[in-house]
Amino acid sequence: MSEGIEVINVTKQYNVFAMEKIEALKDINLSISKGEYVGLLGMNGSGKSTLARLFNGLLKPTKGRVYINGIDTADPVNLPEVRRLVGMVFQNPDNQLVCPIVEEEIAFGPENMELPLEEIRRRVDWALQVCGLEGKRHHAPHLLSGGQKQMAALSSVLAMLPEYLVLDEPTSMLDPQSRRALLDQIYKLNKQEGITIILISHNPEDLLQADRLIVLDQGSICLEGVPRKVHANAKIKELGLDAPSLYQLIDHLESNKFPVPESIKSIPELVEHICLEL
Amino acid sequence: MTGMKLGQYVYGDSLIHRLDPRTKIICCILAVISVMASVNLYYLLCLLLLMVTAIVSARLNPKFIFKAIYQIKTLLLITLLFQAFLTPGKAVLTIGTITMTREGLALGSINILRLIILFMGSLILLMTTTPMKLSIGIECILRPLEKINIPVHNFATILSISFRFLPTLFEEASIIRNAQKSRGSQFDSPELMVKIKSYAAIVIPLFEASLSRAGDLGEAMDSRCYTSHPNQLRMNSLKMKGQDVLALVSVSVIVLAVIPVSILMK
Ligand SMILES: Nc1ncnc2c1ncn2[C@@H]1O[C@H](COP(=O)(O)OP(=O)(O)O)[C@@H](O)[C@H]1O
Ligand SMILES: [Mg+2]
Repeated sequence: MSEGIEVINVTKQYNVFAMEKIEALKDINLSISKGEYVGLLGMNGSGKSTLARLFNGLLKPTKGRVYINGIDTADPVNLPEVRRLVGMVFQNPDNQLVCPIVEEEIAFGPENMELPLEEIRRRVDWALQVCGLEGKRHHAPHLLSGGQKQMAALSSVLAMLPEYLVLDEPTSMLDPQSRRALLDQIYKLNKQEGITIILISHNPEDLLQADRLIVLDQGSICLEGVPRKVHANAKIKELGLDAPSLYQLIDHLESNKFPVPESIKSIPELVEHICLEL
Repeated sequence: MTGMKLGQYVYGDSLIHRLDPRTKIICCILAVISVMASVNLYYLLCLLLLMVTAIVSARLNPKFIFKAIYQIKTLLLITLLFQAFLTPGKAVLTIGTITMTREGLALGSINILRLIILFMGSLILLMTTTPMKLSIGIECILRPLEKINIPVHNFATILSISFRFLPTLFEEASIIRNAQKSRGSQFDSPELMVKIKSYAAIVIPLFEASLSRAGDLGEAMDSRCYTSHPNQLRMNSLKMKGQDVLALVSVSVIVLAVIPVSILMK
């Protein structure tokens, strides 16, 4: 079986009223290999959430196919397996926590997967610990902060041991500090646990750590590549997406004949590099 | 919104916390039956003592319980007054055409005691049982109904989601209320129509938010493999232990005592 996600000629239409159709995605082709960290960038309404929901079979393509590790998401028989492989974290922290107690929330997925009791307990302990929520184990979700709710959502998905993690604008309702913590956590999961990440955002600053950036515009992929290269492209400014301050800084440095290596992915790293060079 | 915190689960690790939720639910039902069946003061005091024992052994904060009871003071007062004035008997106090009677006062006090016992019972149940365990417990008790095609499991899921979202809903309502207030909505207007309109301005956005939440929740549940026939195995799946049998037997004995007590009293 081929590993990775394959999106082949996918078109997605929504029927609004009986006659009217909206084409949210137009003939998308995309492949994501295991272990990658992919950033999906686009303005509101560009089709990011639609694409996210295609990855785990919440939506079926109108045309084309989506394969996860070679499994077709359009066949309802495959849905449990597809959903185990591809975990989803959504935008609104309040609307994705189902259970009245954090611990039960995290057990929800594994319970639905019909795992043995011992295994469920082990996974709940692990997922709580990975996300730093041990102290919140017996709390009610509505008493958590926004950042903690989003961490709980992440941890409840992790308990299913997904190979792919799709996060649909998870930071957009968080304060800067929780946003940072969540992004660091995502990066850590990618590097340490080897989980493939597909992080969706309309804010380029969120996607600095991605290996590859995919830019959606009006349902089509308009740019793709290493984030720094993508932001160097003139096309992206036309879409109204400003380059992150890191890249603006790098631009200024390089136009002053101060080369900056590709590997630098954050401002602290850049500062360290400058200090070493001077 | 402090009222919403009443009856909410308080984490603890006492014997009462550890009892099977089914045991606690059944004990509560038994308590209701016995309270309904008896008007004997001493018997009711015994039940009250039982409740107090349960509260102490569950290490619940007594101040909290008093506060909770204080919150239903209006209900208690109305009960007392109705009984006092509507029961025929020896007059104590006459106001205009209605008279308060001694028998009425006695009956009213007994009824207040009954209400307090029931209220304490339900508080103990809700404060020592996580909502999830409570809904699993209810599901287990109702499971025989599945034989006649009543979808008990779905019912339990709905129940547990309600437990989860009630506080969120109240939070939202108060946010919307403040937002509407700051735009000049008059919730305390003496005019009924104005008042109704003001409240409609809360209910409609709240309804809208709930609908969109329902959609989001459905997706979140689907993407974590929820089906309407999930396995019965839960992390917190229920197991009756020795302590449950003991609790059930002793509560049953106390409840059954209502029969000899009421016969003796006659
Ligand atoms: N359930 C739906 N019914 C009809 N149209 C929809 C639905 N969901 C999204 N759309 C439309 O599809 C387009 C893409 O939406 P979406 O994937 O949510 O974009 P994004 O997440 O990038 O903001 C938008 O024009 C939106 O109005
Ligand atoms: Mg979206």
